[in-house]
Amino acid sequence: MATPNESTMALSQPRVWARANIGGLLGYAAIWAFFAIFLIYPLIRLFYDAFTTDQGVFTLVNFYDFFTDSYYLKSLMNSLLLGVGTVITTSVLGIAIAFLLLRYEFPGRNLFSYLTIIPMIMPPLVGVMGFVFIMGRAGTVNVILMDYLGFSKPINFMYGIHGVLLVETLHLFPLMTLSIVDALGKIDPSLDEAAESIGSRGLRKFWDITFPLTTPGYVSGALLVFIWTFADFATPLVVGVDNLLASQAYLNIVQFVDRRLFKMGIVISAIMVILAIVFLIIAKQYVAIKDYSSLSYSKIERKKLSPWSRTGVLVFLVVVLVFAFIPYFGIALDSFGKGWALTPIPVKYTLRYFERVSIETPKFIINSLLYSGLTVFICIAVGVPVGWIMARTKVPGRDLLDSLTTLILALPGTGIGIAYLRAFREPLPFLNTALIGIWIVIPLVLGVRRLPYTVRGTFASLLIVHKSFEEAAESVGATKMTTFKDVTLPLIWKGVLVGSLYSFILALQEASATLLLVVPGHEMMTVGIFNFYIGGSVNEAAALGLILIILGAVCLFAISKIAGTKMGGVFG
Amino acid sequence: MKRIIVLLTVLLMGFLCFGGISFGQAIENELYLITPVSKDVHDPALKAFAEYAKKKWNIDVKTSAIPKGTPVAYGQILEWKGRPQADVFWGGEGTLFDNLAAEGLLEQVKIPQKMWDEIPATIGKPVGLPLKDPKKFWVGTTLEPYGLIYQPKLLQRLGVTIKDWDDLLNPKLKGQIAQCTPDRSSSSHASYEVILAMYGWEKGWEWLKKLAANTGIFTARSRDVPNVVAKGEFAVGFAVPSYMAFAEVLAGYDVMFVYPSNAYVTPEPMAVLKGAPHPKAAHAFIEFLLTEEGQKLFAGLGLYPITPKFKVQGPPGSNLEKTVQFTAGIRSFYDIQVGNVYDDKIAGPKKRIEEVNSYFRKEIAEKHKEIIKEK
Repeated sequence: MATPNESTMALSQPRVWARANIGGLLGYAAIWAFFAIFLIYPLIRLFYDAFTTDQGVFTLVNFYDFFTDSYYLKSLMNSLLLGVGTVITTSVLGIAIAFLLLRYEFPGRNLFSYLTIIPMIMPPLVGVMGFVFIMGRAGTVNVILMDYLGFSKPINFMYGIHGVLLVETLHLFPLMTLSIVDALGKIDPSLDEAAESIGSRGLRKFWDITFPLTTPGYVSGALLVFIWTFADFATPLVVGVDNLLASQAYLNIVQFVDRRLFKMGIVISAIMVILAIVFLIIAKQYVAIKDYSSLSYSKIERKKLSPWSRTGVLVFLVVVLVFAFIPYFGIALDSFGKGWALTPIPVKYTLRYFERVSIETPKFIINSLLYSGLTVFICIAVGVPVGWIMARTKVPGRDLLDSLTTLILALPGTGIGIAYLRAFREPLPFLNTALIGIWIVIPLVLGVRRLPYTVRGTFASLLIVHKSFEEAAESVGATKMTTFKDVTLPLIWKGVLVGSLYSFILALQEASATLLLVVPGHEMMTVGIFNFYIGGSVNEAAALGLILIILGAVCLFAISKIAGTKMGGVFG
Repeated sequence: MKRIIVLLTVLLMGFLCFGGISFGQAIENELYLITPVSKDVHDPALKAFAEYAKKKWNIDVKTSAIPKGTPVAYGQILEWKGRPQADVFWGGEGTLFDNLAAEGLLEQVKIPQKMWDEIPATIGKPVGLPLKDPKKFWVGTTLEPYGLIYQPKLLQRLGVTIKDWDDLLNPKLKGQIAQCTPDRSSSSHASYEVILAMYGWEKGWEWLKKLAANTGIFTARSRDVPNVVAKGEFAVGFAVPSYMAFAEVLAGYDVMFVYPSNAYVTPEPMAVLKGAPHPKAAHAFIEFLLTEEGQKLFAGLGLYPITPKFKVQGPPGSNLEKTVQFTAGIRSFYDIQVGNVYDDKIAGPKKRIEEVNSYFRKEIAEKHKEIIKEK
């Protein structure tokens, strides 16, 4: 999330212009057109709606209403507090795990480094559902407490803002781990040794050396965690919390009765987008100095642990993982269990729910794969050139492109979903339907939302490939196209693939913008989960959720095989 | 003479255009609904109708539903301006149907006179809830009470029984009640109006605040209420349409339903849209739902016959008997005392709806935590 170090850019401007051909220019223009139509215009439209009346007259009344309404203000406060709280809890877990995995040797380290990433694969709603099955008032834990241990009342683990915090923490700490692993991996161990040689140890060393060097990575991870929590409306709604900004935006938008509430939904989304931009700018203060050029990972000597500390580490990791895997147990049980209520585990089992969501209505899985596939296609078609432009050229507007891609990461899904709803509701030229009435809008919005991962992946890989390879090819007469195809691409495909797989997993799981934009008849798995859930068919929702989780785990496994430990790079 | 020829030509063309298409066929082979009635009910109804048409006329009817919330469906029909893309509008409040009729967007229902007469004009005392439109623009299809759902095992453990509204205020139920907010759910809204009508504005809200003090969750959607009760997360659900609660029974959960005094009963009105692409199928669909077969279908889904002569009765263990069991013995709403205090003239206007919603938001939703602490 930073402007790359200037020293890595050797190409000077005149040369670019001299070589730029019409095709290149057109391509560059096409990329800008994509950004203009599918990112800038919807956001402008959102702000336009927020600052005007239904008649299109400029007004500040909407914002006045927001900031004088005690309920909205409380929601805003709650959202901010929840976001900060989640950043703190995920930091504690994430940093601890990152350090253990990176700096110490213990049995099962490799397995743990894969397992601790897994909780990230948790489609919204599925995580909280799984938690409620196990830790709800009638969940396994409480049933055991009451039926076997004599508790008279269930313990309230879930209902309330603490439940949201629990779910978000155990879902998002891997993001933090990844960011820290990435940042720590780039610190030269010689710095550590140097510090130690002059007597700086333990906390002192951490504070003086490690902390400042990992700050950029940490800040970007923290921002992602914050925004994710900030924009999630599904989790709070399941546990009965609706005084959060995202929940208010969603609830106001999906009701059609009261025009005024609908308008306030738009206004809340606009406020969320503005806040996200503000946070991004603040975060940028910290990461602007980040140096991409040291992307090559340094080799780290792992320390051996004494038997006691080894046991301690294992116990810690196992406990964290057991908690983080609670939703998987819950979802798995409920997807097979029939009429499960008030018993520790279901009494009757059936395959009926899987049959219903896969064989009887295959559209969920098919649409999910199709749309996510198209999303990856869009990500590659747009993202790889953007990554290349950022790494290899100095064309005007490059910095703006960089800022825009970063902005996408920070945009709350609810906000962009509502922006699309407002921006693309007029019928398209030559067609009778509006863009939001055609299914293609889903891959488009997903493509935009997941673009940064491909851009980062490409960018990071390109920086490792030295330009001299390309220059050598060009000096013997290869065109830019051939060079890219024969030299650059084979060298960077791994990075692009990893970025694309991330885009794929995250597209599969997206359920904020798409929930608002889904076209009836073209539902994907996440929408299916949501619709089944609110339609009262929790078991079907669980079955679909389990399928989605398994798909995600397979992709993640593929990534870890391809990328080794370098998984953090795309989040930078 | 010339004028007569022109007139005749126009008549002939009209006949060819409108009469000619389905000439010689009993009903068209397509039928589209626009409805807020959930899939749990509209799906089986459409399937059963398709079978009925096959048997009766040997016609394969392709059916489909456009599921929309009541206000959205209403808005959509206005938007179609007499050239609808659906044939039948089903469900929601009678007032909306009256409004559509006044706009000239509905066609009079064509069913046998005897069938029409068998449906009482109203149900409930002292305020009669209309079950059909005297001008014949809409007709009720079934009786659907908005009542209470509970988890027997949990209530037993808590030592509480639920028979009527006031039982919900039992301090033992603290944190055990699930409800949806009146601004998100029409069943919740109607039940709030029932309470306000029973106790008056001031005391009614007092009562509702006490209910809030016992409420553990305000769900996002009305459909979540029976869901969380079936799971055992909460012991009692407030303002649940009977078929939604019964869907949980059909899914294998152990829940019971209570029809409290004066609870709102909706007849789920149905009307044929003027200019409907398949009018004959539309009228046939209504007729089918009001036959014994149609009414039995509803009874198997947790709904009650609108025609007094039909009772919910079936072989032991059938879904029909499960419906009876589920409401602790009700076989027909005409066998029991049906009280009604809900008056559409008071509760219907938009201004009143907004007034109730904003009072709820200011005094209950925003102060929920304080209310729990106080009571």
